[in-house]
Amino acid sequence: MIDEAIKKGPERTRRNFLKATTALAGAAVAGLPATGPAVADARKRNPKRGGTLRFGTRDDSVGLDTHRNIIYFVSHPLTGITGGLVDFDDKMEPKPAIAESWDASADLKTWTFKLKRGAEFHNGETIDAQAVKWNIERIKDPKMSHAFTRSVVSGVERVTVDDKYTVRFHLKEPDVALDINLIYYPVNLMAPGAADKADTEPVNCGPFKFKSWRRLDRCELVRFENFYETDAEGNSLPYLDGLIGLPKKEDRVRLTALRTGELDLIDNVAYADAPAFKKDHGKTFETWPVPQVGTAMMFFNLKNGLLSDKDNPDAHLLRQAIAHAIDREGIHQAVFNGIGSIANGFYSAASPWHPKDIEPSSKFDPDKAKALRKKAKGGDERLTIIANDTFPYMHQSGELVHAMLKDAGFNVVLEILPSPVMLDKQTKGDFNIDSTANSYRLDPDGWFGRNILSSAPENRRRIGYKNEKADQIILAARQERDRAKRRQMYADVETLVNRDLPMLYTHYVPLLMAGNRARVKGYLPSFSGPWSYTGAGMRRTWIEG
Amino acid sequence: MSELEADKLVDGTLAWRAPPAPLRSRRLATALSNAWHELRKSRTASIGAVMLVLLFGACIGTPWLATHDPIKQNYRERLQPPSEKHLLGTDRLGRDIYSRLLYGGRRLVTIAVVAVVLSLAVGVPFGVLTGYFGGLADTIGMRIVDGLLAFPGLLLYLLFVTVAQAWKLEGVMIDLVLVSALALAGMPEKARLARGSVLAEKQKEYVEASRAVGDAPVNIALSQVLPNIVSPLIVTATVRLGFVILIVAALSFLGLGTPPPTPDWGADLSAARDYMETHPLIAAFPGLAICYTVLAFNLFGDGLRDILDPRLAER
Amino acid sequence: MLAYTLRRIAQLVPVLLVLSMAVFAFVEALPGSIVDTLIGTEGGDIEEARAILTKEYGLDRPVHERYVLWLGRALQGDFGKSLVTRRPISTELLSRIPATVYLASVGIVLSMLIAVPLGTFAAVRRNSAVDYTAQVTSLAGISIPEFWFAILCVLLFSLYLGWLPSSGYVSPFEDFWGSLQFLILPAAAIGFRQAAFTTRLTRSSMLDELSKEYVDTARALGHSERKVIFKYTLRNAMIPTITISGLQLANLLGGTVVLESIFAWPGIGRAIFEAILQRDYPLIQAGVLVLGFIVVVMNLLVDLTYRLLNPRVKFA
Repeated sequence: MIDEAIKKGPERTRRNFLKATTALAGAAVAGLPATGPAVADARKRNPKRGGTLRFGTRDDSVGLDTHRNIIYFVSHPLTGITGGLVDFDDKMEPKPAIAESWDASADLKTWTFKLKRGAEFHNGETIDAQAVKWNIERIKDPKMSHAFTRSVVSGVERVTVDDKYTVRFHLKEPDVALDINLIYYPVNLMAPGAADKADTEPVNCGPFKFKSWRRLDRCELVRFENFYETDAEGNSLPYLDGLIGLPKKEDRVRLTALRTGELDLIDNVAYADAPAFKKDHGKTFETWPVPQVGTAMMFFNLKNGLLSDKDNPDAHLLRQAIAHAIDREGIHQAVFNGIGSIANGFYSAASPWHPKDIEPSSKFDPDKAKALRKKAKGGDERLTIIANDTFPYMHQSGELVHAMLKDAGFNVVLEILPSPVMLDKQTKGDFNIDSTANSYRLDPDGWFGRNILSSAPENRRRIGYKNEKADQIILAARQERDRAKRRQMYADVETLVNRDLPMLYTHYVPLLMAGNRARVKGYLPSFSGPWSYTGAGMRRTWIEG
Repeated sequence: MSELEADKLVDGTLAWRAPPAPLRSRRLATALSNAWHELRKSRTASIGAVMLVLLFGACIGTPWLATHDPIKQNYRERLQPPSEKHLLGTDRLGRDIYSRLLYGGRRLVTIAVVAVVLSLAVGVPFGVLTGYFGGLADTIGMRIVDGLLAFPGLLLYLLFVTVAQAWKLEGVMIDLVLVSALALAGMPEKARLARGSVLAEKQKEYVEASRAVGDAPVNIALSQVLPNIVSPLIVTATVRLGFVILIVAALSFLGLGTPPPTPDWGADLSAARDYMETHPLIAAFPGLAICYTVLAFNLFGDGLRDILDPRLAER
Repeated sequence: MLAYTLRRIAQLVPVLLVLSMAVFAFVEALPGSIVDTLIGTEGGDIEEARAILTKEYGLDRPVHERYVLWLGRALQGDFGKSLVTRRPISTELLSRIPATVYLASVGIVLSMLIAVPLGTFAAVRRNSAVDYTAQVTSLAGISIPEFWFAILCVLLFSLYLGWLPSSGYVSPFEDFWGSLQFLILPAAAIGFRQAAFTTRLTRSSMLDELSKEYVDTARALGHSERKVIFKYTLRNAMIPTITISGLQLANLLGGTVVLESIFAWPGIGRAIFEAILQRDYPLIQAGVLVLGFIVVVMNLLVDLTYRLLNPRVKFA
């Protein structure tokens, strides 16, 4: 992992190359005559810079302070202003951003990051080691940051400044994936000098600058002229003059707006519309399938209640019965409309972390389900399914599972609830099954280390799963440098998960992005959805006409 | 605001006027039998009545009329057009739309009827008594009513229903809360109507006479005045029924009715929006059902009004 | 008249107090704390963060203290900060009110432009084809669910015909003509229903007026039919119509929730609805109070106008 991550060599070469070509280009403009075909070629390769793209998303950030709020890099337009130490490419592999190179000590407890020189925040302040330190400390302060963001750097004990452009992270425990944890989502860097305006006029270091924002209405961003990234020809990125985010929660409303020309690009076409859309409107609109923006699953409450081994000796039997009662093909058809694929583990086949050869979690077998349920203690007692009302696939899956469990004879009830109530119920353990989903994690430890590891706060809060063998493997994997070995370790954990059934993976959550073919050029999302990344994406998109 | 409220329309027509002399002094039974004959004279009332009979018949006969279990899913038979097996086709989860319409209608009409009856049961005595006793009781009573009316639009219902959901109430209990909210919101109208007519009747001789004879005021209020406001109340109630159905449908459209999979016209309509272009019938049927029901109540209410106020009906 | 007005204004106060207490009480009854959402799903020191946030939002004080505190601040125009966006509520609410007022008033005006002539004509030409059509369409108009009608409009005018945008909002102050195209569909959805309502009202008030004795007298005196209708009866019939429409407008202000959702209209109804879903206590309280205040004041204005216009009515 580390070996691939450190791109010292090629990076330096590229920068030198850039300096050289810019000089040459300057000379060309100055006086050398341009020959016909060469000029035509140049114009063909250099996209028409400019244009303002109107982006329709399903969601919007809650506030402007980028540490205090989650600025989700798939569906929040504000993502355009965020930037950080580490970036990623379309395969979700870490790439340099503000940090141009980094390495870790042998014991994986000390990481040294070397910063680019001359990188600036949107207000012109220099991004130096001191600024990075200030940012990390702000994120670690519970008064200033969102818990999710804070948890990502929870392993960092302190940050030291070696010199103006060198930052050193000292970790409490060895961690092979710190660089991934430092990608700009959610560890983004804001200008220390503008901290007092964080809630009203955020100043960050991403490809776009903040202009205005009205929640769930309109978000206006303009190009940051001094963004550090350039394309291969030395043109500075992004190409777009501006980006206007127009959140529209309902899939239908968003799609209609795209079709009537009010939007240039949308982040998702509803599953119900997707097949027909490609067929009927494929000529006018381009579509980009995002295979896995996340994974949908059923969480079982192992902390207390009917499905908890602590409270019910036959809990495991019951969970198996439930797993056998669920026909995931039904979810695939009725909820996802045949799009995407059924999940047996956290990572789909599109991901480099997809585990080979794991046991599937269960097979649909209604008779077995009924038999197990009758046999198990508590099989007739009431089961509660909860589902978040914000995401259609969550509560629709909940509806389906509710019906399937009823068919198997379970005494089951469904509650569809808004987020705050969900959180309350989850923390109190006031449920048995939670029809939920989680977004893609760039590094497996981001999933296993938070939701499977028994000591992880999130696991303790929501599931309460404990398997010592799994714990051992996960902790060891944090220190394993070999990518292939690591992958196998997590595959072993998945096998355990599928046997113990603290959760049942149901389906990968796909997205289908769509855009106006005539206007939107050069766009490509990464395979798990984020649109601002190095090498492609929104930074290299331009508008024609 | 008393006179204005008495004049206040429920659905665009002045709900009450002092009935012409002949009808007033009849007793309830005679008035009703007269009404039956009158009913047949008005075409709108007859049509409305027929529609209502069909509606109530369907609601009562639902267990026998339905062909499938309304919540049974079958993802292999999703989104099918009307056929022999599924009279109106299936929805996105493979459930039979026809059966869902029947059960949904039954629940909806029951809620509406209970809510309106409750608002009558609470509002009328409230209005009659405050109107009769006047003074401080009247002022306080009317301010309470004002307070209720101050809750804008749907918000009163939103608050009630959200609280109900949050309290983990299920099924019938949520419906009960909804009914209470609807009754509470419908109460002011009936109270004002009752009060308005009481105020008008208070001056009449027979009230003075009864008092002179020594009848208890409450008896006077209820026995003398009530029969005379029955007609406008029936009209108001009928039209209010239509309104309540629209309100409940709107609430479940917003996602605040009973949770799935209970059949519910508003919720089914909302869920069908995703498929409006590819399978428009799924959205059409619940919408048409709502229209039919509300129309039935409105037609009947209109017809009743024409009958009870012949000045508008003749010429 | 003046004494009556003052008395009515004085009676506003207890009504609004009761309203505010009722809203406060409701919100207290909701389980599910907004603090939990803000804390988020992960993070080490959850309890510490929870304590900090509870303190900041004053959720640790007893109920009556919080109420009095809130009320005091509210009267000064400070409704606190939204729990969700952490921005001052007064600016949030104020920014949303214009959109709803814009939509509701245009809807009502549109409806009256159609309904008054139609209703009058129907009453004057009783039992004619026009009368029949007016009755049927207005009956349909009050029987069709608003949201269904709105969705059908979007399907037709936006998707199939492509004439109008399907949702969204532009402020008329920013771009007047541009804002109109976003306004048409939602205003039409409101207007259709209101027009049905007002048509019936106009028709029945006109019928009522026309049946009165003074009309026969005027005709006997030789006044032209046109004069009889426009000068006398219409004016009298308009009194209840206009005043009821005023009440309707007041009601609409909070009742546009559904249409605002369908058309992504940034109005106050939708703001309160979403606040309810997210347990954003301060916003719910402020929103319902503000709306309630507007409704009560408008009701009062309408009532006073009615009495002004209709001198026959005694002041009870």
